[in-house]
Amino acid sequence: MTAQRWIRSGMLGLAVGILLFAGAAGGNEGSKRSTGTASQAATKQQDEETERVEGEKRFHTNCSRCHQYPHKFPPRMMATIVRHMRVRATITDEDMRLVLRYMTQ
Amino acid sequence: MLFAYVNSAKRARPARPQCRDHHRRAHTAALPAWTKLTVFASCVVLFIAPALRAQSQAQDSATASPIPVFTISSGFITTFEGGTPHLGPLISPLLLVPIGQNWLIETRGTIEADLSPPPGGSGFKGVVEKNVDYLQLDYIANRYVTVSAGRYLVPFGIYNERLYPIWIRNLQTDPLILPIGASEYGAGTGAMLRGGFDAAPGLEVNYAAYFSAHSGVSHMESDRSVGGRAGIFLPGPRLEFGGSFQHLLQESRTNAFGLHFEWQPSPIPLDIRAEYARSHDGGGYWIESAYRLSQAPKWRNRLRNVQAVARMQQFFAGLGESDVLPGADTNAFEFGLNYYFRDDIRFVSSYGRQFSAQGNGNIWTLGLTARLALPLGHGGSK
Repeated sequence: MTAQRWIRSGMLGLAVGILLFAGAAGGNEGSKRSTGTASQAATKQQDEETERVEGEKRFHTNCSRCHQYPHKFPPRMMATIVRHMRVRATITDEDMRLVLRYMTQ
Repeated sequence: MLFAYVNSAKRARPARPQCRDHHRRAHTAALPAWTKLTVFASCVVLFIAPALRAQSQAQDSATASPIPVFTISSGFITTFEGGTPHLGPLISPLLLVPIGQNWLIETRGTIEADLSPPPGGSGFKGVVEKNVDYLQLDYIANRYVTVSAGRYLVPFGIYNERLYPIWIRNLQTDPLILPIGASEYGAGTGAMLRGGFDAAPGLEVNYAAYFSAHSGVSHMESDRSVGGRAGIFLPGPRLEFGGSFQHLLQESRTNAFGLHFEWQPSPIPLDIRAEYARSHDGGGYWIESAYRLSQAPKWRNRLRNVQAVARMQQFFAGLGESDVLPGADTNAFEFGLNYYFRDDIRFVSSYGRQFSAQGNGNIWTLGLTARLALPLGHGGSK
């Protein structure tokens, strides 16, 4: 009886240990996954911020060549206006893309 | 080994999980339909909607599909030439119709009047002029080339194409040399190749080359000519310079050429622009500076919307005769003050004086200019 209790206690302890280990391992994986996702999100955010800064810079550089800085328009309207400026003011393809991104954020 | 044990333990006890699932299913089945719907909607709101919104925002900024846009530039300019008042209302509608990813139809017209008191009479009389400035189809072939066809603004110098609209120009009077290269009509009818691209880091090249046919269509006249413009833009110092050329393929078959220069130094809100042009009918130059008083040491809040402008120009008469160029050597200067209520609504004023063998004279201008842009469709994210 005592031996059975010891065996049962041992099995229970082993099961709890396995569960804790598995939980810890899973937790580590989740943690790594969340760290990876967070890292990707941070990189993406940084890229977007870099593009925003570059877009603002190109907006100030290009738009003021002819007129005062315009206010922002709705995104689909802005897409047309930037295309118009691509033709009219011969701004480059990259300028058009970055200015559009900046003006529609 | 340990995982194998856990799996085998699960396999060894299949009944209880099934039993639990059964209870869960039974419990779920007991829920009313509206509760399940609410739970589902909550999940959508909490998890899916923000993701869709983020995707939509990303799409907005990167690939927002363009819609037609209609803008109206308008102004009412009062000019006093030698003491005679001229009233000049002007409306200039512009329509932009994008097609697909690479096409654009753009057209602009101008309706303007020059009203002045008749000699010995009272009131104001004059004529209303209507003109199609451009009506062209553009195809953006690649990052280097855009093909335009139809009626287009002649790319000679920078004033005719970029600075001419009433809501953009700093001074309301035209430069004396504007008709050189741009012709009497300012437009050509035919085809044009143009574009702007990065030639090297910090160096952009822009160009335009065109062929124009003769057109006698009312309000859409043009000369038969060929020409082009090339320029270099340095984004760092915000400096642009370039040259233009035109060869007339009718009547006198003369050449015209020009140079342009533009600089906006980054530290201060100053624009410096200049053009030089020469043709058989005459030549000359203008240089203009515009300073926005946003860095004034005092009353900055009030003065930040004020722009001070000055322009100096000279014209030298040539061998030919022209209806649109001065008939004698002319010197002129002009000084102006503009107040911007917004970027597209402003009050404009200027004083200028011309010195010419044909007579000296003062020119005062006073007026309002505005631009209104409207989307012809839903301007949002779709």
